[in-house]
Amino acid sequence: MTVAVRTQGIVKRYGSTVAVAGVDLTVEAGEIFGLVGPNGAGKSTTLRILATLLRPTAGEAEVAGFSVTRNPDQVRRVIGFMPDVFGVYDDMKVWEYLDFFARCYGIPATARRRIIGDLLELVDLAHKRDSYVQTLSRGMQQRLCLAHSLVHDPQILLLDEPASGLDPRARVELRELLRELRSLGKTILISSHILPELEELCTSVAIVDRGQVLAQGRVADIERRLRFGAVLRVRLLADAGGLEAARERFEADADVASATILDDGTIELGFRGDDAASARLLAETVRAGLPVVSFARAASDLEELFLQVTAPERAPQDAA
Amino acid sequence: MTDPTHEPTTEPTTDTRAELEDVVAAVATTPVAPGARGRRLGFSLSGLRRIFGGMSAIGAKELRGRMRGRRAFVILTIYLVLLGGFAWMIELLMERSYSAGFGSSAAYASASIGQGIFAALMFLETLQVVFLAPAATAGAISLEREKQTLEMLITTPISSVAIVVGKLLSALTYVFLLILASVPLTAVVFVYGGVAPDDVLRGYAVLVVTAIGLGSFGLFCSSLVRRTQAATAISIFGVLAISVGTAFLLIFWTGIANTGDGQGMGPIRGRSPEVIAYLNPFIAQADVMCGTETSTGGWCSLVNALVPSQNGVIFTNDPTVQPAVPVPAGPGVGVGGGSGGVLTVGGALVPVAGPITVTGTISSDVNVVDSVRGIKRGFVNGAGFDTTGAGVAVGPDAPFGVVRDTLWPKMVVTWIILSAIFLLLSIQLVSPTRRWRPGRQRQAKTETPT
Repeated sequence: MTVAVRTQGIVKRYGSTVAVAGVDLTVEAGEIFGLVGPNGAGKSTTLRILATLLRPTAGEAEVAGFSVTRNPDQVRRVIGFMPDVFGVYDDMKVWEYLDFFARCYGIPATARRRIIGDLLELVDLAHKRDSYVQTLSRGMQQRLCLAHSLVHDPQILLLDEPASGLDPRARVELRELLRELRSLGKTILISSHILPELEELCTSVAIVDRGQVLAQGRVADIERRLRFGAVLRVRLLADAGGLEAARERFEADADVASATILDDGTIELGFRGDDAASARLLAETVRAGLPVVSFARAASDLEELFLQVTAPERAPQDAA
Repeated sequence: MTDPTHEPTTEPTTDTRAELEDVVAAVATTPVAPGARGRRLGFSLSGLRRIFGGMSAIGAKELRGRMRGRRAFVILTIYLVLLGGFAWMIELLMERSYSAGFGSSAAYASASIGQGIFAALMFLETLQVVFLAPAATAGAISLEREKQTLEMLITTPISSVAIVVGKLLSALTYVFLLILASVPLTAVVFVYGGVAPDDVLRGYAVLVVTAIGLGSFGLFCSSLVRRTQAATAISIFGVLAISVGTAFLLIFWTGIANTGDGQGMGPIRGRSPEVIAYLNPFIAQADVMCGTETSTGGWCSLVNALVPSQNGVIFTNDPTVQPAVPVPAGPGVGVGGGSGGVLTVGGALVPVAGPITVTGTISSDVNVVDSVRGIKRGFVNGAGFDTTGAGVAVGPDAPFGVVRDTLWPKMVVTWIILSAIFLLLSIQLVSPTRRWRPGRQRQAKTETPT
């Protein structure tokens, strides 16, 4: 696998405000890479540096092997950028909009016609070809904006909050579209503060907060590295007294950090051990004669992970 | 970097996928610059092609928006009807005033009417260009910023030069269309006479340069400030400054300079600085009008009142301060006097009896003092010059000498240089990676990092 995007210690300062404080990212070709973080974490700034819209105050960033500061023109040819807030031109039809951007990339007229047709098919806007851009719905505009970033068939897509402001249906459609683009071999760098949409989509994520990468890697790897353990949920067929006895029993186990009885009667265990240890615990529980209804790892999600990583350090930001 | 599209990991299941691979092939065959970087010529050629491609992209987009529907053409029609009506009213006015008075020849009256219509049309069109051109460009960049489309534009390989020049030209296209549409109407003056075709060309040269100059100014405002409203306000203020402001400054200067026994007040003395007049397209048009006049007439004296001519005064209070004029010997220009007169050389009056012959190159304007008929203006620029029966005064300065084409070419040159400066600054301001912006701190607060 080759590296599509690499940043080394990029810093962006606006006066005394630090938007990005030394971000190191490595995105391999063919990945869907998610940049996750709360608003103001520096996601957009990072993407805009990669899109050659901003010059980093310090550090180096390479896109497809080209430096964003020394070879911005080359970078612009290999990336497709979709900004978080984007406008549409008034008085312009959908095909004219794409035609305009295709001309900006110097694509000859004959190729332009075909590309526009193909892209409108891809983003499912072929029936809107002659509509005015400003009459499209938000979701359609979003798809059109995505199509505009594809006119020159870039290897790398930089999408800044592409799903913001979309209804759930449009969101699902967008996700399908991104999967399709990935299957076409594109590397996609996507930012969002809404985690579930990334979790299902991304192969890797970087969690960003206050201008720094807190964690980076495959979703599963991050989980393993960051959690002190998993959460096990155990349901028993027992009354309150039986539950309390079972809780105490679990708490005595060496791999269990904590055991609490939830309101619905489920016992939640903070578990340090690996899969083998949880199998052993289940076997012991059954052998002890406890009526186990279910014994499962709590579905891990990025949101939980994210809160875990970012929460302790969150303090009121002081720019001064 | 391997191209992942060439090693399909999954079977292409949909038609779109296959089509997109066609797109890949199409894009791969388009001329892209990187290989040409090494060769200097090849690079500059492809760079030029890129700039023109970008300009045509911007132009096509802008004109599609501007010229869509009937609006543009309805406005053009209304404009021409109004302009024609105005010309007709001026004609009636001039006709009345000439038929009532003077009693001079009909040919003279006709020529005067022609000049009057010409002047009226040119001033009206200048007024229109002066306000329309910056108004058309004041939103060029700031609208893109406001609509948040500029970033999408900048992430394409289109160059800043193409953005700025393409925007300027497409915004000015409509202004040029209005100017061009008025040409047949202006040609009506040829029916009356008094205005030569080259005078019309001069007038239109001033118009076109004014449009480019103020258009560039508007574009610069647009790239400097973030809001279109502010950019429009600044450019309108600039227009007032260069039209009303400069004229007032010149009037003020001339008025103050003549106080205190002609010694002026403080630093304000002598002739007003001519440079101020270079900025004013109306004064340039007055200078063009002056060119249509046979004698020192209304327009010439207006120009001369605002900008006392370089070819000023022969009879200064102190003739000894006049700078010497070199009259080198050798074959060249001959100035022949008739019966006699005076020749001033280096401020000293040289009485001459008989024909005067000055040989050599006379670098500055030559003015002839006719002892009998008073003062006559003349202009020598390396050409032969002959007056008979007149005394000749050769000096750097001559009285009331308003010479054709003194001012407007300087205005044209000034505005071409200013446009270039404005455009270069705009290019710098549009370009994201080499951005120079006054008050970076202020920018930091408006741009919220996310």
